[in-house]
Amino acid sequence: MQCFILAGGFATRLWPLTEKRAKPLLPLQGQPLLSHVVSKVPENMPITVSTNAVFGDDMKAWAKTLPKRSITIRIEDTGHEDQKLGALGAVRAWMEMDGLHDDVLLLAGDNYIGFDLTQLIRAYHGNPILVAHDLQDISLARSFGTVIVEKNDQEVKTVKAFEEKPEKPKSSLISTGCSILPKEHRSLILDYAKRKPDNIGGIFEEFLAKNISVECLVSTDMWRDIGSFESYLETNMTLLKNTQMMDPSSSLDAASSMKGGVFVGPKTRIGHSTIENCVLFGSSIINDCVLRDCVVDEGCTLTGVDIDGKMIRAGTTLIRSTNS
Amino acid sequence: MRRSVLLFIWLLIDLALFLAAYVSAYFFRVGFIISTDFPLDLYVRVMFLVAPLWILILISFRIFTITRVQSSIRNMIHIAYSSLLALAFFSLAYYFLYGQFFSRLLLVYAGVSTFVLTALWHLAFDQWQRRILRRSPPAYPLLIIGANRDAERLITLLNTKQSVFTPVAILESRGTSQKDIGGVPVLGKLNKLEDVIKEKKITHMAQCADLEHTLNLLSVCRQHGLTYMLLPSVLGIVEGDERTEMLEGLQPVTMVAKKSVFRF
Repeated sequence: MQCFILAGGFATRLWPLTEKRAKPLLPLQGQPLLSHVVSKVPENMPITVSTNAVFGDDMKAWAKTLPKRSITIRIEDTGHEDQKLGALGAVRAWMEMDGLHDDVLLLAGDNYIGFDLTQLIRAYHGNPILVAHDLQDISLARSFGTVIVEKNDQEVKTVKAFEEKPEKPKSSLISTGCSILPKEHRSLILDYAKRKPDNIGGIFEEFLAKNISVECLVSTDMWRDIGSFESYLETNMTLLKNTQMMDPSSSLDAASSMKGGVFVGPKTRIGHSTIENCVLFGSSIINDCVLRDCVVDEGCTLTGVDIDGKMIRAGTTLIRSTNS
Repeated sequence: MRRSVLLFIWLLIDLALFLAAYVSAYFFRVGFIISTDFPLDLYVRVMFLVAPLWILILISFRIFTITRVQSSIRNMIHIAYSSLLALAFFSLAYYFLYGQFFSRLLLVYAGVSTFVLTALWHLAFDQWQRRILRRSPPAYPLLIIGANRDAERLITLLNTKQSVFTPVAILESRGTSQKDIGGVPVLGKLNKLEDVIKEKKITHMAQCADLEHTLNLLSVCRQHGLTYMLLPSVLGIVEGDERTEMLEGLQPVTMVAKKSVFRF
């Protein structure tokens, strides 16, 4: 089995944090999101990360930070969003180009997964299988793709149907970006990917339509799709659990305070400020500020400002003048 | 560069027109002779002394700024004030230097002709400048943020009025199916901001939407040395009753309710 991680998006909704950084390389507790994903993949499994031409070099640099893992960076020939291959299109390009005839552990590079993937691999017995996250509240499932399964007491359930963002969800199970595509269905996958390169979830509906049994492993462990500023901040806060993490190279003076979940990256100086539920990437100077629910990118200098619920672009200098 | 050359020509001709207005006033009043009672050389000396002051008065009224619409009533009033001030300086300078006054009618002639000549010249120059600055490549390429109807209105307005600011590109944070608005191409989402600024050599940015990105757009403008403009509609001010006022030295954007008796 080989692992294929989709990381080809341009993450325009997370601008400006993703202005010069791929979404899967956004830090979560000081580690790129992609490193968190890779840590869940069994150590001996070869990993291919598919990315776009814009972030190719960054991805290669990231792969070098994990020398013990067998990671191949596959760069799609796409420099802009409108040239994207599509998620399934990227899988197809990889399978065809590399002549791959192997089972594929398919993961989304912009999802945080808290569950153990070895559990999924153990549960795989030749049928397509995916991980469904149980929201445990049916009303929350409205904005996700839901998975309707046959009721049984077993760990692995059989999928009956899928529903995309249903108004009245029938299930609290939502599909995650984790699945295994069996090599037996390679031609079906390639054919479907050719027709619908964007519809990664559609392949499972296609399996059902072709009477191929699709299985589902239900997990209640943490899973987050990091698609927006809100979800990125919320994921950080969930992981921080109301604690404050500060890199040893950073400093906080006695007149400053940190509340809720706060992550402070390296080389940051905080003085006379209140920081609440924030993520500071690092190399910033924060003086006389009140920051709440913010993500501050690298190299910012903020003085005398109160900011609420904002992503702050790398290199931003905001220094309140004495007469304003 | 184009603007600097234009500005130099503009100031030079303003100076020449001021001198011409005062010389013509002299001849209209005195007659087309060189009077010995009222020597021309003394008059011209004062004229040359006051001419730079006249330019400084115009500059202090911000008449030469790129955003100034020369045909606006405000601009005409400023030219009139400047003409009056120049007249006052001229009278005082003449009195201080030579200890005497001269024809009041000459002053009226000089004041009126300064205003008329300057106003007409500024109107003509404004049109000429707009054409020159809009020539490809435009001197002030404007990037528009937001692909909404406010952006469309702004583009129509700027193009109809032949504004010196030429809309060259639109970026929209949420994405849109529109390929162009009013002939201006929609080039994508905000992740293309840096590329578009470099490729299109943007000098000005007008924010027509995406209030949540104001702080970061300002950051981009500061880093690239762009001038940032925010449409009042982004803040929900759409009734045209916004004014900029000073609040103890602060300069907030102020919206004054139309029914209010005491306007602040």
